[in-house]
Amino acid sequence: MSLVITVTPEANNGKRVSIAGSLDSNTAPQLQQSINAEIDDSVSTTIIDFKDLDFLSSAGLRVIFKTKKVMDNNGGKFLLVNLQPQIKKVFEIIKALDGMDVFKDQDEMDDYLAAMQNKVKEGE
Amino acid sequence: MNLSQLHKQTFVVQNRTSECSNLARLLAAFIKSNDIPDEIYNDLRLVLEEAFVNIVDYAQPKDKNHSITVEFNNSADSISITFIYTGIAFNPLTDCDTNIETDDHCEGGMGIHIIKSLTDEQKYDRIKQHNVFTVTKHYTN
Repeated sequence: MSLVITVTPEANNGKRVSIAGSLDSNTAPQLQQSINAEIDDSVSTTIIDFKDLDFLSSAGLRVIFKTKKVMDNNGGKFLLVNLQPQIKKVFEIIKALDGMDVFKDQDEMDDYLAAMQNKVKEGE
Repeated sequence: MNLSQLHKQTFVVQNRTSECSNLARLLAAFIKSNDIPDEIYNDLRLVLEEAFVNIVDYAQPKDKNHSITVEFNNSADSISITFIYTGIAFNPLTDCDTNIETDDHCEGGMGIHIIKSLTDEQKYDRIKQHNVFTVTKHYTN
């Protein structure tokens, strides 16, 4: 049961980390390594895409929380998208969705990002 | 239930977290052979991983090989997983801080919170030199 991690660039120095398979005690270090290599203070927005993630354990949650902390400390945005029901359930059990920007799908997240960009433009 | 259904299966694995994948596969096969709904599998796979990792991380020295016995039990109204392991007396339910609100809690705390949320009963016994930890999920819930 493996984890496939794909990191792709997003607009305005953002990065999308798509995770597929199983994020568990054995694969969490693999994700942490990718995050360490890809996410630094030059990244404005980190999107974690759960579309193809089948399994999430507390070891995986710790990597997610740590990444959020890095983004918060850098003043960046941290977004979660496409949480499947069994994945959302894990977040809900530990009451971890409060304070997180969670989007049910790509369209909902695009609307949010467009609204944020308009806000920035209006302020210029 | 038909004759191919297995009410109980016992496995002996090593104290390595890499065994979680094998255990998940064995649980999937057990659940399938007993016609148990997939939703129960999703919950129990997570419970299995959280409990096993806690035991490996906290109950036994990592530099030595130990065996952990894992039993799956299916009855008319519930399914249970029992972990039997040597090492120090370690009750995963009480020997770990379960505060999930802070960042500096014992790493196993979040796992135990998940186990308690997804199962209906959790029981720990120390029998001679063995720890026996059982989690049970009722089908009616």
